[in-house]
Amino acid sequence: MTDTDMALRVEGYSLAYDVKGGQARVLNGIDLSIRRGEILGLVGESGSGKSSMASAIMRHLAGNARENDGRIWLGGTDLRAQTERQMSDIRGRRVSMVFQDPATSLNPTLRLGEQLAEVLVRHRGLTPRQAWAEGEARLAHVGLKTPREMMARMPHEMSGGEKQRVVIATAFACNPELIIFDEPTTALDVITARQILDLFAGLQQETGVASLYISHDLALLSQTADRVAVLQKGVIVEQGETAGLFRTPQHDYTKALIAAAPQPDRRLVTPLDTTRAPLVSVRDVTVNYGRKSLLDTLLRRDYAPVVGSRAVTLELRPGEVLGIVGESGSGKSTLAKAMTGLNRFDGLIDFDGRPVTGLSDMDSAYRRDVQIIFQHPDASLNPRQRIAEILARPLRLYGRGQGDPRARIAAMLERVRLPASYVDRYPHQLSGGEKQRIAIARAFLSNPRLVICDEITSALDVSVQASVIELLMELHRDTGAAYVFITHDINLVRQIAHRIAVMYRGDLVEIADAERIADPDRAPYTRQLLEAVTPPASARLATTPQD
Amino acid sequence: MTDFLRRLLRSPQGALGCLIVGLILVAVVFGSYLTPYGPEDMQPLARYKDPSAAHWLGTDQYGRDILSRLLDGARSTVVMAVAATVIGTLGGAILGTGSAYLGGRADEFIMRTNDAVMAIPSLLMALMVVSLLGSNSANALLAIAIAFMPSMARISRSVALTVRKQDYVSAAIARGEGAAYIVLREMLPNVIAPIVVEMTIRVSFAVMLFATLSFLGLGAQPPATDWGLMVSEARQYLHRSYWILMWPSAAIALTAIGFNLLGDGLRDALNPRT
Repeated sequence: MTDTDMALRVEGYSLAYDVKGGQARVLNGIDLSIRRGEILGLVGESGSGKSSMASAIMRHLAGNARENDGRIWLGGTDLRAQTERQMSDIRGRRVSMVFQDPATSLNPTLRLGEQLAEVLVRHRGLTPRQAWAEGEARLAHVGLKTPREMMARMPHEMSGGEKQRVVIATAFACNPELIIFDEPTTALDVITARQILDLFAGLQQETGVASLYISHDLALLSQTADRVAVLQKGVIVEQGETAGLFRTPQHDYTKALIAAAPQPDRRLVTPLDTTRAPLVSVRDVTVNYGRKSLLDTLLRRDYAPVVGSRAVTLELRPGEVLGIVGESGSGKSTLAKAMTGLNRFDGLIDFDGRPVTGLSDMDSAYRRDVQIIFQHPDASLNPRQRIAEILARPLRLYGRGQGDPRARIAAMLERVRLPASYVDRYPHQLSGGEKQRIAIARAFLSNPRLVICDEITSALDVSVQASVIELLMELHRDTGAAYVFITHDINLVRQIAHRIAVMYRGDLVEIADAERIADPDRAPYTRQLLEAVTPPASARLATTPQD
Repeated sequence: MTDFLRRLLRSPQGALGCLIVGLILVAVVFGSYLTPYGPEDMQPLARYKDPSAAHWLGTDQYGRDILSRLLDGARSTVVMAVAATVIGTLGGAILGTGSAYLGGRADEFIMRTNDAVMAIPSLLMALMVVSLLGSNSANALLAIAIAFMPSMARISRSVALTVRKQDYVSAAIARGEGAAYIVLREMLPNVIAPIVVEMTIRVSFAVMLFATLSFLGLGAQPPATDWGLMVSEARQYLHRSYWILMWPSAAIALTAIGFNLLGDGLRDALNPRT
């Protein structure tokens, strides 16, 4: 193999950031190479240095970055020897990048055509008129139906999937040698993500560009990448052909990552006693956003509210785990908020024989029985309160006369497997998984009968997610609380739920038993959703049993 | 607490701010014992003197020692200004945060009323309050506090609106906390950082507003040693000796700078993430 076969070579590269009191090492002795036309998957959890690697290749590092004398070669060009001026010619033309969130990687004040044409004018020397025509062709190429209109649109006038297509069109615009994809589908819905992945696969086949595909999702990489490198704390612990790496992982960390991915056929719940009367029944609950303004009333104008969820009816038995899935904007969280009194709603929620028709019916007993855990532990714990105060609130509100609050907090911390010394800490001194455990502890301190989990694992790393789910199921067995588990991770919900509700644009499509969700007689939307899901890595490739 | 102080003193702004405000506090507490002359002792033979060994900062139009007057006036000037600012800021912050928490029509009502009050210049507002309640120092303090409230309410509301959307506020509502707890314990601590910074800038405004009120005969009256009053009195004698004007102005400026630096330091120290 000669040098010219290589699109990218990274040799002995290390990177550290200057921080207060020394250096934080991010990458250590990285050796990577990508052949022309090859897709290298780079997998790792947050903080493993994936994104720093991408920045290092793009030569776009923060001011406090300190590098060793490792080399980065793009084809025959030593990127570390380039001046900033030379690099700006290389970026976009020979190496380009697709970012995670299309909402922030497009300039909201420029038309899409201007953003796409700019790249062509800058790097391919086209005139603006030629660039505009070429841009239209490019947009048609990435599967956008009306490229001429699209060119004139502003970013906020299109959906997330369309935006990501435009970003991809821009990245491919100058036929670069290498494209870096930094989690390009993480911010998208399951179905849109699948379409983007198909588009990527098609374009990759056609152009034969080399790709560095950064992701935390092993299952996804097992489908897209030719080779996979596993990054742990700045060190590549394992690297190899995709099929081989998933079949016989060598390093413990890779094994742990593969084992941590949720697998729908490994059920974590015990069957439910279906004879008991329902704990909650939600009847025709509709949530509308916005309100009729005084001016509308005065002028007798018609007013059309935004519908959050439309006439949702469902029941939950004591101790049942109900999964709710659907893409963003489907009304999952709206329903959760209505049930916890964060949204006004029309309709009836019958909780254990007590009818609740509005916020004023939600008394202290209802509030105690129904607890919610949010997606982002960063946002759901007040950054200015110590853990002790955060955990003491539910006890002060509901737990009078049930023993010493300090002892109960200590016992709960032990239950969620955190050291008792954490009571004196602030939330920012904890890791993401630990914070989510605190949020879980807060919910369970009031001895709830229904816990609503709103995407509680989606902000966490795979291995952390597995341990949080394990904790949640353990608490489920011990307390017998019913769960409403809202998620977009269908593999996960098939593992832990008794029944799964599918929502689409505010409507409840159907509710099915978790074991039977994949049956062929399901609703068309449910089938579409399940087809878009990437099956877990080990289910297809591995023959070795985990555990 | 010691941890908080250490963080405050670690930043250069915080350390310098603490030093200046500390010096001012010494003048506030011990000022009247440190004066070399009586603050109201007139020396007809030593009028309009430049700074000298006998009078470190010179003398004014009646031959009164300026250093003595500054030291003596520190107490009333600084204490009044700080008290008025703190009362005005806290009132405005609670109003703004509460308004953001309530949202909807209540928010609209509070903020539009607030806008109406803001349309009146703060000096006019203060004048109106003092002339309604009668002119003395306590009423002047109240007047300035009220004059500061609307703009503080606006600032804190805009910050509080983003805090209102955070999940920890939703969590508090979902577990049935009262409005007072949510506003005071969940939201206000997260709103406080920009307010503290704004407050420290306001201290110097308050000093000047007190001076204006005094000048119009509605606050401190001559021969009181209020710094603002000293500035407005000295105005007429500028052509004879500019020192009379300069020293109290410098004292006010130093107070403003000191509190500003302290504010910067506090902003960093108050943020537990840094």
